[in-house]
Amino acid sequence: MLEIKNLYGGVEGKTILNGINLSIKPGEMHAIMGRNGSGKSTLSNIITGRDGYMVTKGDVLFNGESILDWSPEARALAGIFMSFQYPVVIPGVNNTYFLKAALNAKRKNAGKKELDAVGFLKLIKEKLKEVDMDPKYLQRAVNDGFSGGEKKRNEILQMLTLEPKLAILDETDSGLDIDALKIVADGVNRYRNSNRSFLVITHYQRLLNYIEPDFVHVLIDGKFVKSGGKELALELEEKGYNWLE
Amino acid sequence: MSFTSFQTEFDKMMSRDYFSDKVHPMREEAFSKFIEMGLPTKKWEDWRFTNLSSISEREFRISEIQDAPNSDIDISQYDINDLDTIVIYNGHYQESLSSMPSGVQLVSGLEYLSKTNWEFKSPETSPFDLLNTAFMDSGMSFMVDQNVVVEKPIRMLFISAGLESLMVTPRIHVDLGESSSLTFIEHHVGDSTSFFQNESVFISLGQNAQLDHIRIQSNSISTSNIANINVCQNSDSQYYFFQYADGSQLNRLNIKTKLIGEGANCAINGLALSNGTQHLDHHIITDHLVPNCTSSQNFKSILQDQSSGVFNGRTIVWQNAQKTDSNQSNKNLLLSKNALMNSNPQLEIYADDVKCAHGSSTGALGEDALFYLRSRGLNVLSAKALLVRGFATELLDKVKHGGIRDFITDRFDLWLMENTKE
Repeated sequence: MLEIKNLYGGVEGKTILNGINLSIKPGEMHAIMGRNGSGKSTLSNIITGRDGYMVTKGDVLFNGESILDWSPEARALAGIFMSFQYPVVIPGVNNTYFLKAALNAKRKNAGKKELDAVGFLKLIKEKLKEVDMDPKYLQRAVNDGFSGGEKKRNEILQMLTLEPKLAILDETDSGLDIDALKIVADGVNRYRNSNRSFLVITHYQRLLNYIEPDFVHVLIDGKFVKSGGKELALELEEKGYNWLE
Repeated sequence: MSFTSFQTEFDKMMSRDYFSDKVHPMREEAFSKFIEMGLPTKKWEDWRFTNLSSISEREFRISEIQDAPNSDIDISQYDINDLDTIVIYNGHYQESLSSMPSGVQLVSGLEYLSKTNWEFKSPETSPFDLLNTAFMDSGMSFMVDQNVVVEKPIRMLFISAGLESLMVTPRIHVDLGESSSLTFIEHHVGDSTSFFQNESVFISLGQNAQLDHIRIQSNSISTSNIANINVCQNSDSQYYFFQYADGSQLNRLNIKTKLIGEGANCAINGLALSNGTQHLDHHIITDHLVPNCTSSQNFKSILQDQSSGVFNGRTIVWQNAQKTDSNQSNKNLLLSKNALMNSNPQLEIYADDVKCAHGSSTGALGEDALFYLRSRGLNVLSAKALLVRGFATELLDKVKHGGIRDFITDRFDLWLMENTKE
């Protein structure tokens, strides 16, 4: 599904990624672990197409096609989703309105009929239950006045609504207490199936207790220094990163 | 417009036999003071950012009978549900197109003066006040008796149309008796190619009275529109002002509110949208003269192309006005690198036990927010439109009357569609 080939790139003229190779097949969950500054966020920003991030070498393929020239919205419509580490507050934009606009952009792109207000409300109420979110958050402006945990739930709510093929969870565990973490993890686990893939980016092993990865990759200085199964995460938790340098 | 031209037009005005001789001395006095003062220049503190060449370099003539329409015109494009409308076309009252509101006394300027013992309100803070007194030729006045709640909003629809360069000078008085309430809308529209409107509005609110005053300024793009609004509030009265402006080459709003009775409250709000080389300018003075009053000013401008804007908000709290609670906010969104906003919120406080806040910010659309929306599949135009809409929502929501809010919101969305660029 996602193929990263010998990727070099960075931001503001600074090279941060130094030859990343990664292949994610349908149904797989990959975790990338690394310290601050190792290049985790640069990688997710390059995959999602954020302005200002450049690729100097290598390629990123999604379902066999190079996406590096695609706009962020084209990538989203193709099925790539990122749960933001810091979800953006958008004053004045109603959460329901935003979610409906995003879902309908996706449906329209897929040649499906756009949902009307009634149809959308029915759908979103189901999704809200899955992340145990109070419907009052739908009436608020996007992430405005949300606590850290509520923001992350709102991200997962968007994921469940937009049904991406590949979901990138960027530090989704940060700012979550243990109860919220379980709810978010349950939402992710229920969403897992043989066609959907995940890329989980995290500092700590904690999240991986609840979301079990098939593969774990350790990122240091923009390169994967070690890859393995879920047991690698436990080993990192125990030994830290230094033994890999 | 040169002084000679002003003089020619003034002489024409004075020769009109249908205006009362009683008013002539007031007109003459105001006109001679105006000539003394002259039009403002950029050297004047209150006009530093405002280029008046659209008035000073063009010639206008006063509106004559032939500038009224020959037959009824179609005003259906300006329909707003559930209100009474009084139509003024190039300064001429159109009785056949107007519906008579109930619950208010609707009187001409002259009748108003005779009812108020010829006590003439004539501030002289700017040349435009004087010019209004000298040239006032249209408008209507409303008087609401005490305890009367006027349910249906009243709209004055000012249409400026045609190819003639006209100068129209409306004067409006709104007097609300004790514990009465009214929603009053000024709606400025038209396809005129050259037009100078200099309007003065005098509002007096009795004890516990409430006025919702909405000004929709959608004049055609080549016009100059000056509004001088003076409000006087007695105790426990409420004044809510909202201006939606997307029209005119030059729109200058001067609004001064005097809080003279304890417990009075005013909220002065506005949303301005500009493109091309439009200049939309707001000067607001809120004057706290007594204790225990509350006031707020909340203005937002959205600027495209090379357009420019001014927010100059002043809140004055006099020594006696303890326990004043006031708030000023001005936020501006620049949609183009060439747009220019001058924001100047000012507090002038002479009392020591007050709560006053003010803030101002001007910037472009946030890159982070834009990326966030795009990463959810919205294209650049939709994402931008959504963000701009979000920026304005707070103010659009302040319009209480559903029909008016819908009308303004539709107009806003239309503007947004035409002015959102990649």
